[in-house]
Amino acid sequence: MSFAAYQPLLDFFLLSLGFAYSQQVVLRAGVFSIATPAFAALGGYCSAILVQRYGAPAIPSVLLALVIGGVAGFLISIPLARLRGVFQAIATLALVQIVVSLAYYLEPLTGGATGIHNIPKLVNTWHLLAVVAVVIWFMYVLSRSGVGRAFDVLRQDEMVGATLGVSIARYHALAFIISGALGGLFGGLQSLYVFTIEPEMFGFAFLTAVLTYIILGGPRSVLGPIVGTAVMVALPEISRPLAEHRQFVQGAILMAMIVFLPHGLVDGLEVAWRQRQARRLDKEDREKRRAHAVAGP
Amino acid sequence: MLAIRDLRAAYDGIEALRGVSLEVQAGAMVALVGANGAGKSTLLNCLSGIVPAAAGSVVFEGEDITRVSAHKIARRGLLHVPEGRQILVDLSVEENLRLGALAARQRARRETMDTVLALFPILKDKLRQQAGALSGGQQQMLAIGRALMGEPRMLLLDEPSLGLAPLVTDQVFAALRTLNAGGLTILLVEQNARRAFLSTSWAYLLDQGTIAKDGPSAALAQDAEVIARYLGHLAAGEG
Repeated sequence: MSFAAYQPLLDFFLLSLGFAYSQQVVLRAGVFSIATPAFAALGGYCSAILVQRYGAPAIPSVLLALVIGGVAGFLISIPLARLRGVFQAIATLALVQIVVSLAYYLEPLTGGATGIHNIPKLVNTWHLLAVVAVVIWFMYVLSRSGVGRAFDVLRQDEMVGATLGVSIARYHALAFIISGALGGLFGGLQSLYVFTIEPEMFGFAFLTAVLTYIILGGPRSVLGPIVGTAVMVALPEISRPLAEHRQFVQGAILMAMIVFLPHGLVDGLEVAWRQRQARRLDKEDREKRRAHAVAGP
Repeated sequence: MLAIRDLRAAYDGIEALRGVSLEVQAGAMVALVGANGAGKSTLLNCLSGIVPAAAGSVVFEGEDITRVSAHKIARRGLLHVPEGRQILVDLSVEENLRLGALAARQRARRETMDTVLALFPILKDKLRQQAGALSGGQQQMLAIGRALMGEPRMLLLDEPSLGLAPLVTDQVFAALRTLNAGGLTILLVEQNARRAFLSTSWAYLLDQGTIAKDGPSAALAQDAEVIARYLGHLAAGEG
């Protein structure tokens, strides 16, 4: 089969990967936000309305989608600063509900339940590849920087973070802003790629899919979302039954991962590899000492 | 360098500090000794901003930090090595150390990592390993090393000997004396009173949330009441 047959799959993978990073960045900072669908919807409607209704060019529309997502992320971080864990999840889920409801009710602007159709297709595979490349590079630089380290410490222990000089509120807000900007950006790109936008696209299925990418791949490494998203996008294509029972397969994978590999595939393997490395070095150490003892001083 | 006046704090509704006053001179190594539940950890948590003070004041280098938030206190160079080490077990030793540099911000220096690794050579061999794979003593060294990465002007240590073998405790305390000799001010919380008296110049005894006694460590180690309460019969025999 030629590459062309797989091209829609690749495009779907690239868009999903953007949402996956939007989800990952908050989890990495220890924020249990599931607001990515809300950011994606905001960005998606932004670029769809600008391009389809007002004939705006693609680049400023998508950039505005990014900015709107980032601003939404910042705004939601303020009331949520004192919430943690499951309460963050519930509050961000409420944000998703609010945004989706607005999409239904603001019919003159959003087209209500039927959504907006015939959006010009201004985004192709190369555009997506380029944007994803920049995002991966950005996430890589971020993870190597002090910001990535601050996120890591906040995820593992906030109090330790504070004693190390990390401002909890500021870094949580930063994680929300990046998550919002990425969600908005890829929401905006998606509208200009799939011709159509409607509220239902940002429902529960989208939310669980994005979460699965990260739980499968891992919340920390840059490679994690790539692996997680690739597996989840490819699975239904591998065999027909997998596609028919997509939700079931997704649920089963989620449960298996949480029980057996809670750090995700990539992060989990990294941890296992380090532990092996440590054991090996320890063994070498002991052998060296024993050899030294036998030889005598 | 650090002056505490009539500090009061409550933990879960229980008044853990009932008017503590103490002072640490620049360059000194001071011990804070007390039984379990005397309020030692609460005092350190209060100094580093994790537990809010109910009343009283904490002045660090001439500035009132009583209401300053924890991360800002750390950035001013008052660094807290919490009890139980609290290293991040999922990260590598090197990543843990680099985390410490976050508190230093513009004061961060490149050579600090080398200084820390020279002080704790064992960490140098284990830089790429997972911090959780280290022994208890190595984890304590890592926790101290991480705080040093933040270019502290003063170090607050909570029970550095907790759960360590005597030989390893010796190593940790030797490192602390080296740091103090290099000019670092240290406030040390210890349950192991004998060890604390041996390594410090001045000591405070904390009892039920207030300072019961203070004086030169060597004098306190000879004090009959202190011997009875904190050092036990063995120490009296050795004295």
